[in-house]
Amino acid sequence: MEQKIVTVGYGDVKQVQIGGTLPLAFVGGPCAIENRDHALFMAESIAEICEKLDIPWIYKSCYDKDCRSSPKSFHGVGIDEGLKILSEVRETFKVPVVSDFSDASWAAATGEVCDMVQVPAYLCRQTSILRAAAATERPILLKKGQFMSPWNMKNSCRKLEAFGNEQIILADRGTFMGYNMLVNDMTSFPIMRYTGYPVCYDATHSIQLPTSMGNISGGQREFIPYLVRSAVANGINLLFMETHDNPSKALSDANTVLDIKYLENVLYQAKKVHEMRLELFNELGPDNVHPTIE
Amino acid sequence: MRVEEVMISMGSFPVVTQKTILKEALTEMGEANLGLVCIINEKQELLGLITDGDLRRKLLKVQKPFSAFFIDDALIHAKQNPITCRPEDNLKEVVQLMGEKQIWDLPVLEKDNQLVGLLHLHPAVKKMLEG
Repeated sequence: MEQKIVTVGYGDVKQVQIGGTLPLAFVGGPCAIENRDHALFMAESIAEICEKLDIPWIYKSCYDKDCRSSPKSFHGVGIDEGLKILSEVRETFKVPVVSDFSDASWAAATGEVCDMVQVPAYLCRQTSILRAAAATERPILLKKGQFMSPWNMKNSCRKLEAFGNEQIILADRGTFMGYNMLVNDMTSFPIMRYTGYPVCYDATHSIQLPTSMGNISGGQREFIPYLVRSAVANGINLLFMETHDNPSKALSDANTVLDIKYLENVLYQAKKVHEMRLELFNELGPDNVHPTIE
Repeated sequence: MRVEEVMISMGSFPVVTQKTILKEALTEMGEANLGLVCIINEKQELLGLITDGDLRRKLLKVQKPFSAFFIDDALIHAKQNPITCRPEDNLKEVVQLMGEKQIWDLPVLEKDNQLVGLLHLHPAVKKMLEG
């Protein structure tokens, strides 16, 4: 299966190429845009780490969190303010930016500013959302729903293709195992990669314990490095992690977001494992053990 | 007598494109009541075919869940480079070949490998018996 390369970044930002045997890329930032100063501070902090490690990266933060467990939870700064902030981050650091959108009517404005648009996991089958995402003509980060099998994500890809957009990256953010629990099936990466599209691992949502704390979600952040090493070794092209300078005060996903003080450590490991995997393939050739998906 | 005099024309037997998933290909086969489906590209060139027999053997071999099997591209489960014939081929010789190879259906290709029809054994034999 020929592997597609997806290029993220328009205008004068530093483009990020994702897929094939290209270097591992990173996408991250605070789950929600909290305010302008915090967004700029986080972007600067992440940029410093990624530059030091020489990792291509994309800034991720959302303007409207529409799937919070409680109506009292922080919902976001809103689309107008949020896109203004993302635009400033983009211009200031020349970094591509991505936000999700939860309503089809938000897609066009999101795609005008953002270099990539993200389809939330819960909405990954919604035809109206997929049609709107495709129409932005931007690359699409398509999260696998926690209720979806990796092979059934092909249905969503086929919808996007039918709507004329084949710039797709498929992301795994865990799969429901019973109630309030997610697990990662590491075979999801080769299975989703068989669509031909690059694959992404969302580490910080994968360790989430959905709504485990009654009206908010918990998370087991101590498992992030274990799962990141596994996913990278299994051939992901893009690593997704939400990060925050003060997780306990984060306005969204406080129990799952990675403290930025650990970001360099985890990204360093991810880069090393990715390079080791490519070295093995150079030495031995691509995986050829029972070489069939039958 | 030539193959083109008795072959089933395009539109009257199951043909799908390379982006078709296995489930859709099997549905096509079922609707046409023929034990085979041909897979073509945009240029109408034959890429492969799946027969009832291929499918039977796959079912005994495949280890993944049916939901994953059904959504595979049909092409990855297809027989590639199948035996074919030309419209101008002699019908009797082709039917003899089908007998030797125990084949019920044979795709008919033009010289540029474009699929133009399907030779099904029953009407071919019937035509020959009619003389």
